[in-house]
Amino acid sequence: MTEIIESNVIKPEAIFDAMGAVVTRWTMGATAASAASFWRAELGDDPVEAELRLLALSSQFLGATVMTEPPSALRVLPDIPALALPIVPETLRPLVRRILAAGKDAASKAELVDFLAARGWTTHPADWMPDASDEDAPDVYAAWRDWAAFAAAGELTPRQTGDQLTPENWDDFWPAARKAALIGLRRRDPSAARALLEAKFGSENADARLRLLSLLSDRLSGDDVSFLESLAANDRAPKVKALATSMLARLGHGPAAGDDIAELAGFFSVKTKGLLRRSRVVHIETPKTPAQWQRRKALLDGTDLTSFAGALGLAPQDLIGAWDWNVDPAADAGLIKLISETGTDAQLAQAAAIISEHDATGLIVALAPRLAPAERTRFAAAGLRAHGIGFEMAQLIAGPAARLDDPMSAPAGTKLLAELRRDDAKPSDYAAELHALGLLAAQTAARQALQRLTGAGLLQGDPRLDMLRLNAALDDKGEKP
Amino acid sequence: MAIDLKAVEQLATDQSSLKAAAGLAKPAKWSGVGGSQDGALIWGECAGSGANPYRVMADLRDLGNKCTCPSRKFPCKHVLGLLWLNAESIVPFAPAETPAWVSDWLGRRRGTSAAKPASAAAPAGEKDLRTARIAEPEAAEDPKDAARREAQAAKRNEETERAILDALDALEQWIGDQLRLGLSGFIDDATARCRRIAARLVDGKAAVLAGRIDELPARLLALAAGDRPRGAVVELGKLVLLARAFRATPRDAEIRRAVATSETRETVLADPQAPRVNGHWEVLAEQVQTRRDGLVSQTTWLLNLTAHGPRFAMLLDFFPASAGRRGSVFTPGERFRAELVFYPSQQPLRALLVRRDAADETLTDEWPAPDGPISDALTRPLLAEPWTIDIPLLLPRGRIARDDAGHAWWRAADDTATLPIAGSVEGLLAGTEVMGAAAIWSGNRLTILAAQTPWGRIAGHD
Repeated sequence: MTEIIESNVIKPEAIFDAMGAVVTRWTMGATAASAASFWRAELGDDPVEAELRLLALSSQFLGATVMTEPPSALRVLPDIPALALPIVPETLRPLVRRILAAGKDAASKAELVDFLAARGWTTHPADWMPDASDEDAPDVYAAWRDWAAFAAAGELTPRQTGDQLTPENWDDFWPAARKAALIGLRRRDPSAARALLEAKFGSENADARLRLLSLLSDRLSGDDVSFLESLAANDRAPKVKALATSMLARLGHGPAAGDDIAELAGFFSVKTKGLLRRSRVVHIETPKTPAQWQRRKALLDGTDLTSFAGALGLAPQDLIGAWDWNVDPAADAGLIKLISETGTDAQLAQAAAIISEHDATGLIVALAPRLAPAERTRFAAAGLRAHGIGFEMAQLIAGPAARLDDPMSAPAGTKLLAELRRDDAKPSDYAAELHALGLLAAQTAARQALQRLTGAGLLQGDPRLDMLRLNAALDDKGEKP
Repeated sequence: MAIDLKAVEQLATDQSSLKAAAGLAKPAKWSGVGGSQDGALIWGECAGSGANPYRVMADLRDLGNKCTCPSRKFPCKHVLGLLWLNAESIVPFAPAETPAWVSDWLGRRRGTSAAKPASAAAPAGEKDLRTARIAEPEAAEDPKDAARREAQAAKRNEETERAILDALDALEQWIGDQLRLGLSGFIDDATARCRRIAARLVDGKAAVLAGRIDELPARLLALAAGDRPRGAVVELGKLVLLARAFRATPRDAEIRRAVATSETRETVLADPQAPRVNGHWEVLAEQVQTRRDGLVSQTTWLLNLTAHGPRFAMLLDFFPASAGRRGSVFTPGERFRAELVFYPSQQPLRALLVRRDAADETLTDEWPAPDGPISDALTRPLLAEPWTIDIPLLLPRGRIARDDAGHAWWRAADDTATLPIAGSVEGLLAGTEVMGAAAIWSGNRLTILAAQTPWGRIAGHD
């Protein structure tokens, strides 16, 4: 075939021109040999044989010389940008990939990504990249989220990044970079961040407004009250109104109590106890019917801490102090939710301290997102030491920035070692507990834990130890709380 | 942690397993043998009958074990062989970092009593180590018997050849029919029509060709609708070429491999014509595909990092889908020294692993540069084997681009070529300079196996 072309007997252009007709005829079921008269000698006289020979020759020609023509408009995506934190060392990437692959859901992948960011590292983009809509990804990944948004949107020019966000260049930023810049501005100059938000708020959709407003939780102060009040009164979206209302409540600006609040107060009574040092106790009446349980929950969901305390004739801090914990878990959870959504920072700290003492450590998990990292670590350590909680619970309390010094000496560690030593221990036992231990231990503690666990009979290559091994091998370059 | 040979004997399901294990308890059969620092785990790779070795691992604490071979016996002869090597210290089990594939297995294990001694479960006759060790002497053969056997084999060969030639006649007839009925109808009904002729080819002992025709509709449907008539002409024309080539040289091993069956591992190893290449190899990718005929094909693509020998090697194995999912044998990106033997061919590609050393991180060779202009690389193999479907090649510097419909293209940095990509490209590969890539050109579309980028070596796309 090639020889035929090279010997200039037949020009490739001539073959090419004929191929259209040949393929069309075959597509319709007609014979095609007559359309390739230049191959008459090669095809021979037998009409059946000629079609097969033409098929073989056409196949060679079309397979080797005809390529799909690229369209004129091809779009090239910009380079995936480098991030502000370094990528985990090459030697640890296989371990990171294995932990990512073992985590079945997005939440467990997020745990690892948060852990890495807290220790000052990021993933390799071939191992993990956030989606454009991944609001929970650490801020350091903003540039990759925007790259993904850009790839999906089909635009041709990348938008702005950096931290100099102004009302004028607001629209030049992709959402993730804008969020990162706004968080930075709020930390540097809270009022400027709020003023910027006031200027641009109306032009965003409801979901975006909700996310932007939540950024004001950081450094929330009395300066924000008038903006929040205008949103609580006038915003188009009920979700935004509700968030603004709850943020106002955190600042002690609760709404006027409605009629419902008296009904809610009816589920509780304030009594006194003790003879010498008379103190008040909030007594929780047991609802009598399922409908009453429901009603109480709905009423608790619809109020704020100050109004609720007021209806019982107490100041919020007195309500928290006088609450009868561990009697009615549903009521406890309702109050904790009120505190975390509408309480001030001081009320939150007061509640955390009290429930930590009252052996109701599980409730701290609900308060944890509003606590400072150092506080979270303290409560997690206290829970482990004094209340016998497991590493999974401790990790939920401590969050991604945890660096516990000696978790293995807590009861949870002793119990874990004993369980792993049992004769009927199975290879998949306590995988979640060991993983959580790997997330919350400080680097040195992770190394010590590995020693003790392998000493107890776990193999060094045991995949349940992956998180601990990563922690032990990864230098801690993160900001310490 | 030590085990004794008695334990191996107890573990074996029957005498024949033990016998086979004795045959495998030789250093030459194994590579990458090692054990964990704590002495509890041992592992190794054992050459089986396929191109890819089997990964064998065992936990000496409870004799739990796993092998990637498709055997239904548990434990298989490879596991017994590994334990035997260990019990008799036939090779050193150097303490090493536990490989990821052993850890993965450890994580999937259920329960501690994974391996009960077979004798406790089902006594399967008497097993005896001493008998297993005795190599059976080759029975001296009567020269008359040998001659008779040879004559029978020759007759069988002739019958097979006759059957294949008949099947190829039927194939050409069928191709002619498709043209007469119109390729538009063929494209619409390709799966059923191809299945019918494939069944005829299986009866006619042209099993490899049958498998290829069974996969033809999938290749056709992967093309844009407007490109399918051209694709059908290319596919059917290649079948005509292959049928004609077989008629011309029915004894040619290379053509027979494309039509009927491949030589066995032993035949290739014994063939002085089969090129042996000692080189540095990088695992580019592994492709696992379930085929319409119920077989799963496992293809490992290797890149030769040295200057001599074929640029690529393809380790190809088939196993029944009913044998279950099989673990990978290699990790993409892994590099090692190994001796490969290639099936004799004008352009050697398909190969068997003869011997390999453990993964070696000191092999830091750069990827070789492409061997010539890209248009050559795409078509040169067709000169020798015009029926070839998959053409591996190295791509020069380039980048992924997308058209308005979202389809991906690979575009050379010097703009000499823009090739359509099979499937989609997401993530990093779409957002970085590609300094070089290894790819397969197949059915007018490109599949990238691996790429060198400013982010390092990355995997290709789905």
